[in-house]
Amino acid sequence: MTTPQVEVLLIAVMVAACCSLPGVFLVLRGEAMATDAISHSILFGIVIAFLIVKDISSPFLLVGAALTGVLMVAIVEIITNTKLVREDASIGLVFPFLFSVGVILIAKKIGNVHIDTDAVLLGEIAFAPFDRLVIYGYDLGPKALYVLSGIFILNVLFITIFYKELKLSTFDPGLSTTLGFPSKVIHYCLMAIASLTAVGAFDAVGVVLVVALMIVPAAASYLLVEKLYLMIVVSLIIALVSSVSGFFIATQMDISIAGTISVTAGLCFVGIFFFAPRRGIIFLIAKKTRQKLDFAHLMLLVHISNHEKLQERYNENNVREIYKHLNWERIYTSTVIHMAINRGTVVDNKGVLSLSNKGKQHVIETIMK
Amino acid sequence: MLGEIFSDYTLRTVSIGSAVVGACGAVIGSFAVLRRQSLVGDALTHSALPGIVLAFIVTGSKDISVLLTGAFISAFIGAAFMRFIIKNTQIKEDTSLGIVLSVFFGLGIVLLTYVQKQPDATQAGLETFLFGQAATIMQRDVVFMSVVMLVILGVVFTFWKEFKLLVFDAEYGQSSGFNMRYMDILLTVLMVLAIVLGLQTVGVVLMSAMVVAPAASARQWTDKMGIMVLLSAVFGAFSAVIGAVVSSLYTKLPTGPVIVVVLSSVVFVSLVLSPRRGIFWQLVKYEKNKRALRLEATLAALRELSMQHEDKCHGHEECVLRVMKSEGAPLGKTLRLLSQKGWATEVTRGKWAITEEGLKEADKFLHLIKDNNQ
Amino acid sequence: MVTETNTHVSAIKIEDLTVAYRDKPVLWDVDLDVPAGVLMAVSGPNGAGKTTLIKSILGLIKPVAGQVQVFGMSYRQNRKTVAYVPQKSSVDWDFPTDVLDVVLMGRYGHLGWIKRPGKKDKDLAKEALDKVGMLHLSYRQINQLSGGQKQRVFLARALVQDAMVYLMDEPFQGIDAVTERTIIGLLKELRSLGKTVLVVHHDLQTVKEYFDRIALLNIRLIVAGAVDDIFTDENLKKTYGGLKTF
Repeated sequence: MTTPQVEVLLIAVMVAACCSLPGVFLVLRGEAMATDAISHSILFGIVIAFLIVKDISSPFLLVGAALTGVLMVAIVEIITNTKLVREDASIGLVFPFLFSVGVILIAKKIGNVHIDTDAVLLGEIAFAPFDRLVIYGYDLGPKALYVLSGIFILNVLFITIFYKELKLSTFDPGLSTTLGFPSKVIHYCLMAIASLTAVGAFDAVGVVLVVALMIVPAAASYLLVEKLYLMIVVSLIIALVSSVSGFFIATQMDISIAGTISVTAGLCFVGIFFFAPRRGIIFLIAKKTRQKLDFAHLMLLVHISNHEKLQERYNENNVREIYKHLNWERIYTSTVIHMAINRGTVVDNKGVLSLSNKGKQHVIETIMK
Repeated sequence: MLGEIFSDYTLRTVSIGSAVVGACGAVIGSFAVLRRQSLVGDALTHSALPGIVLAFIVTGSKDISVLLTGAFISAFIGAAFMRFIIKNTQIKEDTSLGIVLSVFFGLGIVLLTYVQKQPDATQAGLETFLFGQAATIMQRDVVFMSVVMLVILGVVFTFWKEFKLLVFDAEYGQSSGFNMRYMDILLTVLMVLAIVLGLQTVGVVLMSAMVVAPAASARQWTDKMGIMVLLSAVFGAFSAVIGAVVSSLYTKLPTGPVIVVVLSSVVFVSLVLSPRRGIFWQLVKYEKNKRALRLEATLAALRELSMQHEDKCHGHEECVLRVMKSEGAPLGKTLRLLSQKGWATEVTRGKWAITEEGLKEADKFLHLIKDNNQ
Repeated sequence: MVTETNTHVSAIKIEDLTVAYRDKPVLWDVDLDVPAGVLMAVSGPNGAGKTTLIKSILGLIKPVAGQVQVFGMSYRQNRKTVAYVPQKSSVDWDFPTDVLDVVLMGRYGHLGWIKRPGKKDKDLAKEALDKVGMLHLSYRQINQLSGGQKQRVFLARALVQDAMVYLMDEPFQGIDAVTERTIIGLLKELRSLGKTVLVVHHDLQTVKEYFDRIALLNIRLIVAGAVDDIFTDENLKKTYGGLKTF
């Protein structure tokens, strides 16, 4: 690999790492689509800031553009509060507008100088190494790498310092507010962090794929682990794996790096979706079949216990009749009855079923808990 | 400019095509907005992209009906995938939208860059599907679009009653013997159709606005669903035509963003100025209510003071009233209004008393308050 | 407990009904017989499965075991004899429509697919609105209604279904005293016409006054029967786990 290639890889890895951190909280809060809205809105800020400072990697541009993301969130909130439209619609009204103004300005005012309309969607990660940080004649590497590292450190600091507050306000916003951590403030801080991250990633991956890097690793790790800190770590790992593999596939096949990374992230998700222990589809199906039998067993016990009064039991608990009452298949019912007799919970007394002591115990334990 | 539209052949084709696109998106969008599924459109449009490119790779044709068929299939797979995720995991709807949107779009971009690397130049123009280019609409496209539109409108008209049930109260609909799952799937199919139709004109990235904005605007002007859908169609068609014509007149100006800007101004006017619901009228009403409340509160205070005195005409200091009402609102103005209505008089300078008329009025609304509390 | 004589007609017969969400049971082997022509309350603590019971009768939820019959047939076969009043919080009241239009939805089940409501349906809807005292508000936008008025609209919608059985999910929740009196008056009128009414009901204070029968539910059916016989402290304790006494 040549030096520029290594630099591109490093940038890809840093983008993925940066994005995955705020993504975890957005996914848990059910605000995943906010990333889509934010990433589109910041284009407006980037263009306006660029027209003013004329430098695509200026820190002013970074902050200014990030502020548009927060501004968008605020406008959406104002519109939603008028109760004229619901929140989903007001998101769908605000960000396309800001994005469109950005695109028109690029098309008419900026042209191909630094950003063009295609780059807005695709990102230009392959060109990122050309913009270099040079101090006193020393070439210190691509600027993007420094910017992204800065954002990464900021994200890590934000999450570690406010870990407790973020956790609380995510799981119980009301409680968080009453305990003195206003969930609204935390919400806006998180949106600001997400905006800044989106601006940093914009150059490399464009507006849409930021969404992939923020949401997909987080959603995949959500299926894999249950603890919040583990979820952060796992989503970071998934982001790294998909960015590295995406980079190599893309360079091998000469296709869009950013696009490939989001596809590899998607494949990671699909893989975990199917094969994850405990929450993967295959595991769930196996579990369901097992549970269904267990549940049917229990249902049988409950049914028998409900009808153990003398006059009904000859009818309700009859081996040959019971399937009618439960509205089950005949064969299925006899399987369940056999299972129950084998487990020693049910006794067949001349065609009338009754519970053994073990069965009675079992019913009491499950129903009364 | 209107004359130009009808004389210029290309411009006329573009206008009709855009109007069809705008109307279809807006009609189906009304249902989406009422069902709080505004962002579903966003996910569906993005997931159409790989279908367009794949259709081209497979057939080598750039015929609009071929490309849109590909788009339809892939958007529909996207929709199915979203449901599958929501149904089988603890992942929320919002997240599943985001996953489908970004991964499908990423795949589309990958395929697009793959096609662009091919040596022959036949693929040129596929990228116009990103932001839309109304100028590429041909006359035979218009015919195709109109047929799709008729299908969409026909189905909406036929199943109007059932769709209304689905959107308003699906469980009740189910209990009345209508299979709401079928209606849900039918509506999703129509939505995918309407969205796919707009891809050429408005583009993958911004078609979602075509779904949300006209419906959200129309809702502000009417309280009837039928009128809302019609009005939404008018807004959508109007904005699409204006946007398409403007973008055709300038070079390098993609159509989608221009349409969205026009749509956004319609939204803005609707949210602010629409009668009754509009923000402006809400503020006016709020001010009116506040003034009425101030009048009542002051009158009640005067009434209470008059109870404490034998002499009904005994004047009371303004500052006492101010303390009783415990607010710094313009008391002088309120008192003057009261005296204009003949409910209070200024006995001596700065001293006020309630009149007989005012007492009656105060009794009236104080009783009213009591009634409400019951 | 008084055993039922076997001569009565059952409006709703629930046998061994078990319903589960994922693997968590919400209803455990419930047997309930609602005789025709009664006004019956379904009560129990939160999460007892009252709404689930109603929805299972309506076929909105598929049970894991057991069956429900309406006048001896499945719900699908006999759905036109059943009217449903959902909780009023279950719909979006900012929906762009008016009172009459919502009530007309009650006719949809009779109309079947595609066919639109006609003049006859409109007349029926207005008649029902008159019964609940809302005729003058026929063309009022639904978001301008009070809680009680919303409930009356839903009741009118059920009335135009012209059913034999009425299933109501907490119709007395969050409404004014006048509406409560109107509704109970109408329910008693329905009963006197031989209709069967099953109501999810929270307020134990009014059970004796409003209903002639009650089913006490807490995932399992605790007891069901005539209010006079079974509405006792002991049964309430069994149902509410001793937290609530009458």
